[in-house]
Amino acid sequence: MSGTAHAARHDAPDQPVFVGQVKDKLEALFPSYPTRMACLLPALWMVQEARGWISPDAIAEVATVLGLTPAYVRGVATFYTMYHLHPVGRHFIQVCGTSPCHLCGSDEVMKAILQQTGCGEVGATSPDDRFTVIEVECLGACGFATPILVDDDFHDSVTPERVAGVLARYP
Amino acid sequence: MSDLVNVTIDGVAVAVPKGTTIIEAAKQAGVLVPHYCYHPSLPSPAVCRMCLVDVEKAPKLLPACVTTVAEGNVINVNNEKSKKARESVLEFLLINHPLDCPICDQAGECELQDYVFQEGRANTRYGDYAKRFNPVEDFGPDVLYVANRCILCTRCVRFMESVADEPVLNVSERGDRAFIGIDPDHLLTHPWSGNVVDLCPVGSLISKDFLHKARAWDLDKTASICPGCTQGCNTMIDTRDDIVVRLRPRANLEVNRHFICDTGRADYRWMNRGDRIEAPLVREGGKLIPTDWDHALARLAELTRGARSIVILASGRASTESLGFVRRLADHGTVTAAVKVPLGTEAPLAGVPNLALRKERAPNLDGARLAGYAATWAGALAAAPGADLVLVLDADIDDAEAATLARARSAVVIGTVDDDRIHCANLLLPTTNMAEENGTYVNRDGRVQRYYQAKAAPGMARPAWWIAAEAGHLATGASAPKTAAAAFATLSSSMPGLGGLTYADLGHTGRVVSPATTGAAR
Repeated sequence: MSGTAHAARHDAPDQPVFVGQVKDKLEALFPSYPTRMACLLPALWMVQEARGWISPDAIAEVATVLGLTPAYVRGVATFYTMYHLHPVGRHFIQVCGTSPCHLCGSDEVMKAILQQTGCGEVGATSPDDRFTVIEVECLGACGFATPILVDDDFHDSVTPERVAGVLARYP
Repeated sequence: MSDLVNVTIDGVAVAVPKGTTIIEAAKQAGVLVPHYCYHPSLPSPAVCRMCLVDVEKAPKLLPACVTTVAEGNVINVNNEKSKKARESVLEFLLINHPLDCPICDQAGECELQDYVFQEGRANTRYGDYAKRFNPVEDFGPDVLYVANRCILCTRCVRFMESVADEPVLNVSERGDRAFIGIDPDHLLTHPWSGNVVDLCPVGSLISKDFLHKARAWDLDKTASICPGCTQGCNTMIDTRDDIVVRLRPRANLEVNRHFICDTGRADYRWMNRGDRIEAPLVREGGKLIPTDWDHALARLAELTRGARSIVILASGRASTESLGFVRRLADHGTVTAAVKVPLGTEAPLAGVPNLALRKERAPNLDGARLAGYAATWAGALAAAPGADLVLVLDADIDDAEAATLARARSAVVIGTVDDDRIHCANLLLPTTNMAEENGTYVNRDGRVQRYYQAKAAPGMARPAWWIAAEAGHLATGASAPKTAAAAFATLSSSMPGLGGLTYADLGHTGRVVSPATTGAAR
């Protein structure tokens, strides 16, 4: 999913998201929900998949497509932390920082990632727009510290030494 | 009586209709349940948790705003358990609330300030932590949003969504970062959006017009009626040192519920105008000479007694009392009486039936109709030059109308604002505007409603009913009422349309005297 969707996402930032296949995909979902309003979360995911982030224009578009108001869509989009309301890099890296991983050295992993991606600090995007790195709570792999998520790919047992190898797979 | 439910609230037994919420039942028992998100004109989401009360046999505290009463409920609003809960809620609300009451417009009428003072903690346990900070935002023509003061009761969001039907506000983010967000392309431009300022229980949504104008405790409040249109919304005139500084809605569930439109809210500056006629002016040798009331009234009596055809040009803002007594002055001759009706566009409030800013921008058209002002404005103007006497009752006179007035054989102006256009009159009599007198308006549904004097009248100005009644007394010997109440009672006993009502019958929310009409005056 990550490969194709993310490759396409910077293609046409000013064009509507819900055209062609994406539109069909959304409309196929409508029967599964009691109302169009209930379809809001998947619709926002589709925007994020296509564009990497959810812009004010995209919020307006989702509102139109689902018959809601931009204010309501914005309220929902800001409620959930996993929707990006600002542009992020081509690849989004989430590093676990919860207690077990922290004890096993997740902060060293984080340091290595920040340094090798060139992001510099948590939450920032690298100057080449390639990566954005954030710290997250438990990724559910405490026995395999330190787990990281790159886009939708899961990597466990990451150590500072393995960072370069993982990053190399995401041009 | 099976549709009544018996409950005991703080030891007071009351019977309320089935389906009543605890918070409304408590009002019947004379107990106020402190609350923020609940408002009788809005749907209740039970988000503020302030109205949690102890209901005996219920395992946990229940939100009074959404829980309906059940037979035999024993509810304790003010026991230790309920108070402790409120103290905790207040502590949460204060974690991020700034201590800026000294510069906050809401101070003195702030529900957070009131409840914290009544039952909050005496000091904070969060002194070591920095408070959340967000900048002040511009929400529209007359609304500022001070995010730091917001307690997220969401009344404004629900008003715009459910009542105004223009959902431009939302709750953005969540947890301690949450704030009220606005659609950047649609500010609060809805013609009724100013109500969010009144709905806000704290100083978060504030009026730009009223910003830093007065402290709540310096204001004198007077019950009034909005003179903006035929709807007749109930209002409160707030004055500071005899100057009107703000108009706010006053609850009347039959007319305007808890709302007024922005046009009515903003239209108060004319009440404070300083360019007023302050003494009776009588024409002597081509000049207008100030005189006393004795001479002025004698002159008015003489002019009306001698006139066999009289044209009355009245303002739609004149009280029923004034319209009635001025009309009586002309009873002995042929009368062409009309009121001026400024027109505008209609602006309804979607969520309240039969509530709108009406096209006819004058408050007392039905009162005028009852008082016999049956002519059209154009018809009365056309008749003016041929009449023995033209009586102007505070109507706005434009240039064309002034030219017509100048051709009248004889003209008397009972007016408020001094203006060159009315200097052609033989007699100029200073009268009070609606903020300076007691009176009644009859709204479009035939509801007679009282308004009260909010500020002092300038100079020698008197209510127009007093002027007309005194002159009538000199002319015919008819007894003249000395108070607005007596004036109304006199009119109501002789005008079938008013049904013999007195001020005592009208109360604070008025009485309907005639069925809804699309009357002749319109």
